[in-house]
Amino acid sequence: MNWIDIGHIDDVPLRGARQVKTKVGCLAVFRTGETEVFAVSNLCPHKGGPLSEGIVHEQKVTCPLHNTIFDLNSGESLGVDEYRIDTYPVRVEDGRILLDRDAIAQRSAA
Amino acid sequence: MDTVIDARVKTFIQVTELWIPDGDRLVLANGNYGDLAAFETATRAISFGKGEGLPGKAWAEQRPVVLKGFDGSYFKRIEAAAEAGLTSAVALPVFDEDDLKAVLVVLCSDSDERIGAIEVWSELDGLMMLDDGYYGAAKHFEWVSQHTHFPRGQGLPGGVWSARTPMLFRELGSGYRFIRADSAGKAGLTTGLGVPVPVPHDRQFVLTLLSARGTPIARRFEIWDARPEKVGKETAAILVDGICERDGPLWTDDNDAPPRRVTANQGNIGKVLATGLPVILSGAPALTEGYSAMVALPVYQGGALAHVVAWYI
Amino acid sequence: MQKLVVIGAGMASGRLLEQIIAANPAAYDITLFNAEPRGNYNRIMLSPVLSGEKSYGEIVTHDDAWYAENRITCRFGEKVVSVDTDRKVVIGEKGEVPYDKLVFGTGSSAFIIPCPGHDLPGVVAFRDLEDTTAMTEAAGKPGARAVVIGGGLLGLEAAAALRLRGMEVTVLHISTHLMERQLDPAAGYLLKKDLEKRGITVMLEASTKEIVGNGRVEQVNLADGTELPCDIVCMAVGIRPSVKLAQDSGIACGRAIKVDAQMRTQTPDVYAVGECVEYNGALFGLVAPLYDQAKVLAKTLLDEEETFVMRELSTKLKVTGCDLFSSGDFAEGEGREDIVFRDPARGIYKRLVIENDRLIGAVMYGDTADGNWFFGLIKDATDISDIRETLIFGPSFQGGAQVDPLSAVAALPPEAEICGCNGVCKGNIIKAIEAGATDLGAIKATTKASASCGTCTGLVEQVLSVTLGDDFVLPAAQPVCGCCDLTHEDVRRLIKVQELKSQEAVWQELGWKTRNGCHVCRPAVNYYLLADWPLDYTDDPQSRFVNERNHANIQKDGTYSVMPRMWGGMTTPQELIAIAQAAEKYGATVKVTGGMRIDLLGIQKEDLPAIWYDLNQAGMVSGHAYTKGLRTVKTCVGKDWCRFGTQDSTGLGIKLEKKLWASWTPHKVKLGVSGCPRNCAEATCKDIGVICVDSGYQVSVAGAAGMDVRETERLVDVATEDEVIEWTTAFVQLYRENAKYLDRAYKWVAKVGLDWVKETLADDATRRALVERFDISQSVYQVDPWAERAQPAEAVKFHPLADLTKEAAE
Repeated sequence: MNWIDIGHIDDVPLRGARQVKTKVGCLAVFRTGETEVFAVSNLCPHKGGPLSEGIVHEQKVTCPLHNTIFDLNSGESLGVDEYRIDTYPVRVEDGRILLDRDAIAQRSAA
Repeated sequence: MDTVIDARVKTFIQVTELWIPDGDRLVLANGNYGDLAAFETATRAISFGKGEGLPGKAWAEQRPVVLKGFDGSYFKRIEAAAEAGLTSAVALPVFDEDDLKAVLVVLCSDSDERIGAIEVWSELDGLMMLDDGYYGAAKHFEWVSQHTHFPRGQGLPGGVWSARTPMLFRELGSGYRFIRADSAGKAGLTTGLGVPVPVPHDRQFVLTLLSARGTPIARRFEIWDARPEKVGKETAAILVDGICERDGPLWTDDNDAPPRRVTANQGNIGKVLATGLPVILSGAPALTEGYSAMVALPVYQGGALAHVVAWYI
Repeated sequence: MQKLVVIGAGMASGRLLEQIIAANPAAYDITLFNAEPRGNYNRIMLSPVLSGEKSYGEIVTHDDAWYAENRITCRFGEKVVSVDTDRKVVIGEKGEVPYDKLVFGTGSSAFIIPCPGHDLPGVVAFRDLEDTTAMTEAAGKPGARAVVIGGGLLGLEAAAALRLRGMEVTVLHISTHLMERQLDPAAGYLLKKDLEKRGITVMLEASTKEIVGNGRVEQVNLADGTELPCDIVCMAVGIRPSVKLAQDSGIACGRAIKVDAQMRTQTPDVYAVGECVEYNGALFGLVAPLYDQAKVLAKTLLDEEETFVMRELSTKLKVTGCDLFSSGDFAEGEGREDIVFRDPARGIYKRLVIENDRLIGAVMYGDTADGNWFFGLIKDATDISDIRETLIFGPSFQGGAQVDPLSAVAALPPEAEICGCNGVCKGNIIKAIEAGATDLGAIKATTKASASCGTCTGLVEQVLSVTLGDDFVLPAAQPVCGCCDLTHEDVRRLIKVQELKSQEAVWQELGWKTRNGCHVCRPAVNYYLLADWPLDYTDDPQSRFVNERNHANIQKDGTYSVMPRMWGGMTTPQELIAIAQAAEKYGATVKVTGGMRIDLLGIQKEDLPAIWYDLNQAGMVSGHAYTKGLRTVKTCVGKDWCRFGTQDSTGLGIKLEKKLWASWTPHKVKLGVSGCPRNCAEATCKDIGVICVDSGYQVSVAGAAGMDVRETERLVDVATEDEVIEWTTAFVQLYRENAKYLDRAYKWVAKVGLDWVKETLADDATRRALVERFDISQSVYQVDPWAERAQPAEAVKFHPLADLTKEAAE
């Protein structure tokens, strides 16, 4: 994989998120634990709510617009309506958050 | 292990007896009277109602009771005690929440040589204060104790109170400082056992047994943890701390070996687990680690047997 | 016989010697150097020696007799000056010793924070018997005070031991919870509570600035200005491998002495073991791997094959009566699932972390019976998919052990106040039940509990249920959400009664089934905590909905609206110019609102701090048009301009707004002040409405003009503006302290009854106490959130973390 450093873990508040702009759209990077991060598409497929603004609980986020809950592991919604958001490889190394450049590029090619 | 190893030593406690409720009376279940046969005979003839005599008072008042000097008191066996040279006693009720399981009574005789302490501490205004205690000849230590109080977490009484578990302190009088260390050192006190005494009301009591080398209360102490939080669902207990004059330390740091474990009915501690009652053994019976007598006392917490403390002499 | 020289008589090298001697006592002629004037003792048991629960004699592993019996030449109290690996000799202070094989077992030393004063007498580490003795000496003085720096394993053991010794102890910890490397926040909370029960003061996020004293430690000063007088400072922040001798001898070192899986250094015939080694980039501090290393090195030295393998570790704390266990990985990584079990009545918390059907981490507090079983599952990477459902109940699961929804109430002490209105505590209710009051009506009649505002009804019913068991059928109540079994009213009451002052405290003590709540309960709990404990609890932005977190209203297209405050609807040409300029600069759509202000719509998130800055420069602050808090105070022009006006309604409106702005409330709060009964400010459909009349002011409350339309009801008639402000403030505070989150004032008043509200506020002392508590809260919260976030360091958080649009897609 081809990792890019996008920032320090402490730049993302605990149980919060920050946006990352990419050529293929906006991603949301979530911090669910001291050194636990997830990267998913920022856009809720329901009505386009910015997921990075949602409330983060355990490894889930609730969309700020209409309360759809997504599991950040799978990208799948919980509840009756089924939605899915893209998830992206991300990891933390020495306090730096790293995104996989290839994964972002692959989506653009698709 | 079944042989008695040392010559008889002069012990701080002369008599230990166990009273259990039978209907509305407390009857003698067992006792260690040493060579005080006449006192034993006198005792076997009686029982106590609630509020009656020392055991009945501990039952009625739902608290440990210290009685020093029997003459003119509510003590029922004054004459027999006087003949046996017994002058003081401590009665310890064993409650499982509201149920009285037993009353443990220890009796001591005054002498200039006998040093030790049996203390009852109770909480007053957020501090553990001395309720009463029997000290034998350790008069200065008695005075110091009467003028000492322990906030939560401090010293043996404060430690037992806040940790809600029996505790064993070593080398009470040595360089490192037991709070009453100076005086304890001068009195020759070495090992202290602190035990929480749960009662049906909210008041907090702690019993301490402070043993001196010359006239020991015990030469081996053990603390067993029987809480399901520690041993799981099986009725069992693990030896969490202990010290023995002969075997040395009785604990493991659990990087080497798991602690000793007994299950219900396994040995004397197992008997306490199975019956929920204290055990008193005397006359060098089996399974008492080579000592001639032992006492094992259950400590209840939240409606279940939580710990067993045992002392051997 | 080959000559083996060992430098350092610690636990690892001691174990090494035991292993060699057990296998072949004739293998080596052994010389053991130790800088300490004694042999090997069980260092991990120093804390019970410090507390007095063990004696030094009990923790001696090897006494003189043991060394003599095994013909080990002891050079104790002698430092090794250097090692000549070419000549293969160790040079001690008292002479040289040749070796065939050399083992470094130099261990580690304490890391001392290099703050000013760290070298004052009275600053000690907690590594050896000397440190222990120094601390017990200090504890000898009556009323002596200790500051322990470091809330890790060692620091907490030292703190508890010093407390048992009779000292006043304060623990300073830099992180947000204790033992953060071994525990999660929930277990850290329980541990802190446990230590506080022992009389130990724990200060989190405490940064030591300096240690001061005249020739000896006298005081520790923290970065936040706190001053802590003390007699001794124990530094327990970490350890550093002792490798200077090895480095000076030319042995390859990284952070410590580098060894391979056979414990060989890169120099022939030189080995290392214990805390001074580095293997695969890892250092070692816990005892289990050190013993593993000793075993491997013994085999290596006896020419047998053995390989060191790193394994999972578990942690226990040696504080009598503190039962905690942690093992594995419970905080990091993706694709993981938690199983959480809490029993508030017994102070139990357990959490398991599962990944790919394997248990990878376990933290437990209060009940550690199954610790070793979980540890085994982690170590062996056992597939747990078949037992997942019941895993948390341990190996002896017998279909029981469900969380008792009543345990939070069962855990309350008898003196806990259940009914705040009538001061009825749990003990009173239990007595009444025991005396025969076995239903809610009878309890109300005999104790008055829940007979006033009624918000404690749920709790009273739960006390009935806990006391009567199956004889009482608990009415179904609507819990806050799926995370817990309690209603909003119960949660509010319990937060007050149990003095719960952090989210972790609420999760644990009220038996939350999730690790940190959800989008339904967390904003509510965050509000309850900040409303009840303004000075103790810190507002958590991550527990707020987007609008309150970003201090602007999010619109359906993801842009925001910005609305500056216009006090009582008054503005100036300068303000209007600034608003106009800002609107133009940031491309806003401009709308005049129903609340007498101007809304700027369509602002991008990253522009928010800039537009706020511009508006701040013109003297304007946030209008809080996005909060559950004070929105507007609508006014008419009042008697200065209006021929019907009876009082200065605009002026009063401004005063009210200045008093109430920036406070958080269960839901939004809108006020209106009309100068006469013609009511041009439409005050009678607000949460609080004031109508000015010739004789003074009519204050009415609980109106609504949304989905429900309701006219306000009269609360009180008063003669002066000051009284209006006092009554209004007291009403807002009563609402803040008692209402369910997201209940508008009219809904709350309907629940508790206007009569109760009137009665409560009519009492002068109660009313003033409410105002006082409101003022305390405002001392923390009455700040302009825009100004705070317009600062460059804060503003950057409104920007994307990274912009990769310029990255070439390869």
